[in-house]
Amino acid sequence: MSSTSTSTAHITVLYFAAASTTLGITEEKIPIPEKGFYLSQLKDLLVERHSRDNPSNDNGSGKKGGGGGKKIGEALRKVLDSSQWSVDAEMVDDDEDLTKVELGDGVEVAVICPVSGG
Amino acid sequence: MLSPGSSVEGTLELPGAICSIKNTLDPIENTIEQVSDDRFGAVVTFIGTTRNSFQGKVVTKLEYQAYTKLALKTMATIITEARNQTAEFQAVVQHKIGVVGVGEPSIVIAVSSPHRKEAFHTCEFILEEVKRKVQIWKREYYEGEDERQAEWKSNV
Repeated sequence: MSSTSTSTAHITVLYFAAASTTLGITEEKIPIPEKGFYLSQLKDLLVERHSRDNPSNDNGSGKKGGGGGKKIGEALRKVLDSSQWSVDAEMVDDDEDLTKVELGDGVEVAVICPVSGG
Repeated sequence: MLSPGSSVEGTLELPGAICSIKNTLDPIENTIEQVSDDRFGAVVTFIGTTRNSFQGKVVTKLEYQAYTKLALKTMATIITEARNQTAEFQAVVQHKIGVVGVGEPSIVIAVSSPHRKEAFHTCEFILEEVKRKVQIWKREYYEGEDERQAEWKSNV
């Protein structure tokens, strides 16, 4: 399951705050189907992507691999469950139907955790 | 500390208002100067600073991140909404990103308006809306605790 995919469409996902702390990254480029990929599918895709055990999944515990992936995936799902999305720097309203928000090549999606400015 | 590539300095100007995200806030005298207008008799400023405690724990610092591109757009929306309530005002809103130590300012809002009632109201309105909506996050660090466990706060 590596990234030798032949998909030519990619989105950039931006992580801030708790999302970035959970994953240890601030952004990533994700291959997606060229057509017919919707925002409603993104949560599962990201959780699955970060649930794989791999040597760099050190969930802060110092233990690499061996179950770290699943814990990170669960932690990410928890963060995403309480977050909103933005697509190309526009917030997606809470009452918007995510199954109708199509994501295409080059789109920038951000995980917007509950804010705390000021 | 992870610093998102999108958490950068930026400024957005609208008629009668300047919104900025900055690594270093301007001195307050400069900000007051920016909103001052001989037509306006009231200047109200708000400065938000890092408190030294939270629920009995000693706070050592706060760290702020922004999705700057979107945060500035949201600030502009807030200014426009304020403009629907009060036609005449000048405003400067600045928010810091990065580390903000105890007693240091993280946000500065300055508003000038012909009269004091509108100036106070507009300043408070902008502050409350910034805290409610703008895409900025703060992480609170406590004395004696592992920095890696520091939690991101929520204004909700």
